Amino acid sequence: MEEALEQPQLRVFLHPLLHPALLPVSYPRDIRPTWSSIMEYNGGSVIAMVGKDCVAIASDLRLGNQALGISSNFTKIFPMTNRIFLGLPGLATDVTTLKETFRYRVNMYTIKEEREIEPETFAHLVSSTLYERRFGPYFIEPVMAGLQKAADGSLKPYIAATDLIGCLNFAKDFVVAGTASSKLFGVAEGLWEPDLGPEDLFETISQTLLNAVDRDAYSGWGAEVYVLTKDKVIKRTLKGRMD
Amino acid sequence: MAAASVYSGAGFDFTNEVRNTFLTDRGIPLPKATSTGTTIVGCLFKDGIILGADTRATEGPIVADKNCEKIHYITDNIRCCGAGTAADTEFTTALISSNMELHALSTGRKPRVVTAMTMLKQMLFRYQGHIGAALVLGGVDTTGPQLFTIHPHGSTDKLPYVTMGSGSLAAMAIFEAKWRPNMERAEALDLVCAAISAGIFNDLGSGSNVDACVITASHTEMLRNFVKPNERAVKERSYQFRRGTTEYKKEEIRSLVVEEDVTYISAARGAEGEAMDTS
Amino acid sequence: MATADGGAYSYSLTVFSPSGKLVQIEHALAAVSSGTTSLGIKASNGIVIATEKKSSSILIDDSMIDKVSVICPNIGIVYSGMSPDFRVLVAKARKSAQSYWKLYGEYPSTRVLTQEIANIMQQATQSGGVRPYGVSLLVAGWDITRGPSLYQVDPSGSFWAWKASAIGKNMVNAKTFLEKRYNDDISLEDAIHTALLTLKEGFEGHMTEKTIEIGVVTVPSDADLAAGKIEGTGRAKPTFRKLTEEEVRDYLAM
Repeated sequence: MEEALEQPQLRVFLHPLLHPALLPVSYPRDIRPTWSSIMEYNGGSVIAMVGKDCVAIASDLRLGNQALGISSNFTKIFPMTNRIFLGLPGLATDVTTLKETFRYRVNMYTIKEEREIEPETFAHLVSSTLYERRFGPYFIEPVMAGLQKAADGSLKPYIAATDLIGCLNFAKDFVVAGTASSKLFGVAEGLWEPDLGPEDLFETISQTLLNAVDRDAYSGWGAEVYVLTKDKVIKRTLKGRMD
Repeated sequence: MAAASVYSGAGFDFTNEVRNTFLTDRGIPLPKATSTGTTIVGCLFKDGIILGADTRATEGPIVADKNCEKIHYITDNIRCCGAGTAADTEFTTALISSNMELHALSTGRKPRVVTAMTMLKQMLFRYQGHIGAALVLGGVDTTGPQLFTIHPHGSTDKLPYVTMGSGSLAAMAIFEAKWRPNMERAEALDLVCAAISAGIFNDLGSGSNVDACVITASHTEMLRNFVKPNERAVKERSYQFRRGTTEYKKEEIRSLVVEEDVTYISAARGAEGEAMDTS
Repeated sequence: MATADGGAYSYSLTVFSPSGKLVQIEHALAAVSSGTTSLGIKASNGIVIATEKKSSSILIDDSMIDKVSVICPNIGIVYSGMSPDFRVLVAKARKSAQSYWKLYGEYPSTRVLTQEIANIMQQATQSGGVRPYGVSLLVAGWDITRGPSLYQVDPSGSFWAWKASAIGKNMVNAKTFLEKRYNDDISLEDAIHTALLTLKEGFEGHMTEKTIEIGVVTVPSDADLAAGKIEGTGRAKPTFRKLTEEEVRDYLAM
């Protein structure tokens, strides 16, 4: 298989007329700005982290139309049960569709099984739902955070993420997704440490997210953070850069 | 959508296909799915089969998972290493594992490796390479130890030692130099580790730890993280933030504990209430 | 028209008789009642299901007959009635369990699987061109939410949870026997013995490891639960299994 070599990305000052779809095909390849993926159409990022007997999930609040900011109040994190939160970074139309799909499926599960779905089971549900569309995917990379009931009744932190076709990634520390994922990986790798309590975990996840999205043009415009503990859910709306 | 059971989807759903093709035609490429650049190997030894794999999953140039599992369970006596599109290896092996369990229940026999191999190749051939799974399948059944490779288009090989994935050349170099028939268990396990290590250190698509799986006629031993040559150094100091570092505009706390206030009514009123209840 | 045998209403399955009966379902129950006896007992630490395996001729190789079937690692079923109908239901139940596993990464709870089977059986009482299944089932399984549970499913598609129940030819006597013998804190070992004693009542011929079948659900220990899934398999330890002929022989000898 032969692939054309990619030209190095040049630094550009964005202009609405530089939309790749508007540019003539003859426009020089090396100065044609490329949206490296559909994820960048609306932008957005999510991160989840494990703490001591708690988990946190956070996202930015931007909704864009490529370079143009549309909303600074576009939530990407949705409660599935009292103890499961689902982050859906990606194409905004699919965020809405999948939010409803999973709400429906979780409600059907609750009614049929007469019990609440556990995070691990929910993660498999997300994974198989996305893989069903292996050859026509939703452009979403879900991130999940929850507290899983252990056999002895205690609650254990659980986080997971999948790619857009549902490949599950369980992690012991943190998971990231969205347009700032490469930056989030780096910052989280440096800042995360084991056994952080709810308040310390809040600081760590917030700083990780804010600093990563500051270097991502497609994410930002404020952020929201959820911290889940055994007896409460804390939601905080953060102040972020508005540029 | 009239499925016999609500749990069984009828294969793949292509409803987003038109929209997605439209977008890609506009020059907006699809995001990259997680793939396992991967070094996976398998070899015969005196008493059975040893399978090996690295534990790195990549998304383009990003390491998406530093310790993923690439040796998948098929049955108690059969395992399958996967390279290629991670979701495809995961779901293809899960599907075949499920079908093998049904097969074992209805035949009442110990499952055979060729059965799994045939199911896998027929499925991959049916999808003409679009399911990007490159597999090393190994196990021990009534016909003895069996080792196969299965390519994404459905072709298969049966060899005494095999490698697959982006690190296959590095790993094969080790096998070609050192593999001999009828090796002892310890010797073969060392060889598999050396082959995977060659992939981990020389192929950028492979990394982190060595997983191994030893399958003999009587027993299957999964050696998860058998060698960990790339352990992260313990951080020298803590990078916690002082509490209050992050400014927030709004806080909402939802308590999951149902609080209950019990108000005891005085004895006199209680008696009065009781009297009214019974009247 | 409404004669004792159901008259015209006895043929069309989807037509009620004026008295509100679907006569074919009652005929299906009659088919169950002429089948060999099966029973199940829920103990404090598990469940036993057992059945007699009677062949009409000594020339039949009864080692090939399976009346207790594994559906998935945590659920097993036994039946009384028509064996071909049972075989079809077992195949459907196994497929349903595997579909559930592919979706949720775990096997269904006993209740959910029982509901699936019951739905299949109910559909046969309301569709054209089919007849009801001629079997009653005892479904025994373990799951984390409800622990060990034992269900009975009838040809109508109705199902109930039981502490102990019997179906088939000798069900009335067997149930009376079980009512006398049952108590809430019976152990699995005692339940197996009670099951054997109940089967012995009204057993025609000699009861040996060749002529009965037993399946047991074992409640996993706290240590098993804490250990979770078996390393490298992604699967939990099975909780349902059939007893081997040797094990049955040992229980019979005791």
